[in-house]
Amino acid sequence: MNRIWYMVEKEIRQLRRNPVLLRIMILAPIMQLILLSYAANYEVKNLNIAVVDGDHTTYSQRLVGKFRHLDNFKLTGYLPSDKQARQTLLAGDADLVLVIPPHFERDLEKAGSTAVQLLVNAIDGSKAGIANGYATAIIRDFSTDILAETRAVSPGVVPQLAIENQYWYNPKLEYKTFMVPGVLFELLLLVGGLVSALNIVREKEIGTMEQLNVTPIRKHEFILGKSIPFVIVGLGLFTVGLLLGRFLFQIRIEGSVALMYVFALLFLILCVGLGLLISTLAENQQQALFVSFFLLVLFILLSGLFASTENMPVWAQWLNWLNPLKYIIEVGRNVMLKGSTFADVSRQFFVLGGMAVGLLLLASWRYRKTV
Amino acid sequence: MENAVHTHQLTKKFGSFIATDAITFDVAQGEIFGFLGANGAGKTTAMRMLCGLLKPSSGEATVAGFDVYRQSEKIKQNIGYMSQRFSLYEDLTVRENIRFYGGIYGLRRADIPVKTDQILRKLGIETVADSLVASLPLGWKQKLAFSVALIHEPKIVFLDEPTGGVDPITRRQFWDLIYEAAHGGTTVFVTTHYMDEAEYCNRVSIMVDGKMKALDTPAGLKTAYNVDSMDAVFQILARGTSTK
Repeated sequence: MNRIWYMVEKEIRQLRRNPVLLRIMILAPIMQLILLSYAANYEVKNLNIAVVDGDHTTYSQRLVGKFRHLDNFKLTGYLPSDKQARQTLLAGDADLVLVIPPHFERDLEKAGSTAVQLLVNAIDGSKAGIANGYATAIIRDFSTDILAETRAVSPGVVPQLAIENQYWYNPKLEYKTFMVPGVLFELLLLVGGLVSALNIVREKEIGTMEQLNVTPIRKHEFILGKSIPFVIVGLGLFTVGLLLGRFLFQIRIEGSVALMYVFALLFLILCVGLGLLISTLAENQQQALFVSFFLLVLFILLSGLFASTENMPVWAQWLNWLNPLKYIIEVGRNVMLKGSTFADVSRQFFVLGGMAVGLLLLASWRYRKTV
Repeated sequence: MENAVHTHQLTKKFGSFIATDAITFDVAQGEIFGFLGANGAGKTTAMRMLCGLLKPSSGEATVAGFDVYRQSEKIKQNIGYMSQRFSLYEDLTVRENIRFYGGIYGLRRADIPVKTDQILRKLGIETVADSLVASLPLGWKQKLAFSVALIHEPKIVFLDEPTGGVDPITRRQFWDLIYEAAHGGTTVFVTTHYMDEAEYCNRVSIMVDGKMKALDTPAGLKTAYNVDSMDAVFQILARGTSTK
């Protein structure tokens, strides 16, 4: 026990001696939290729309007018022909083009139906899908209006089924609300996993590791002595992140804060275990950095932080069984936004607990006091 | 009295390369035992096996009466070690380094400040006690590393080229420290390739290509090879040439 304390004391002293690293460890994650939460945004705004109006009537004007009043769309202007429309799309000056055919108003009044064409730049598939969805909704809205008006004149009403959506847990569909709990845990992976791996490998490089290996220090004393400081720093960081979430992003924590901390602690232990394992495999900081970075990117992209895991191919979902970040992000979102209790996230608790124990066992098995 | 170090046919192979080839020797307690050899002769490998840092491929060895295969952790409680690479933390102060290693070696909390003052006084570095080790001259660092390796009063101290890169005066002072430790009963096992340092040892062994080619007192070796310096002995054994 005594030796563990001396290790912890030494680590904290070294950390304080390295103000640059300390600042990076605290500031970089906070910057990331703010930047990712504000910038990584799937709400589609400011779609540039151009219009080819082949009709020039009241109806066509009304349809275009509907697009004008939404801040998702920005009307870039009218184009004289389809050909120009294609060029505009090609040049990237418009994200979508609405083509209103000649006799639009006449057909609508006489036949009760007509068609408009939407040309969508679909290089970014998900953005195009959303743009198309918005535009379709507006056009449908327009046609409902027209139908209602014509029906008012000539009765024989078809009853309409209106669908009204209610968004639960994130009522304003704020992307930030969705991002913050995820990023909060992703940051712990950065500090707990990457920084701890580099720290130990650095001792190998400068030779103090060999010196420690000829002392009677026991494996568990070394591992705990190295882990505790990173867990402390990680919990501090987590607290700052929670406060930012609460006061900067105005996200109320629906669930128990204590439960959030229990999971943060568990996840940090897991991350430090991973860092230790990497440090036993890597000979130098470059190797450790490369391996950590590889895992970090893989974990983050597959975790559901940005893209929903349910839409991933089956093999990716299988890989995700091993992705600790996936589980902890589920926990973060459910506890923070939905107010889930321990019973709701007990599965994640046991999976993460199992992973943490497994990683620590692997690391202590791999960690040898011989070279 | 039991030998501090005993080996019999101790061998280490890395693949097909034999780094240490069946060396057999004993080191008596309180002895200053010089371990000589050119770079790559297998000195460091042999020393690492004795310190429990490396598992031997075959042969026997005991250090402080403990078996290197089964009791390496017991050995670690009874030895001090100073590697070629600098082994103190440059970003900790002198005092913090002493405190840390004292703690790791299991010194009692109350004993650490006493021990610290002792070391500072002995090395005459009280003024830099709270300076970072990084700011000390190399000679001071090495003397400090040696004192730290002795902090738990081990039975044997292993020194791997402890005086590399320092000036002759500092080397002389370093050897004064070694003598003092030996007087106190500590066995000193030291590798070097400075032949003047070989003269300071009680007994010297010379390793060539993993094999132990000679083992005797410096005087005995000079007589045996009929030369007047250890340098000449080394030339004959290591290079197969005579300077005469």
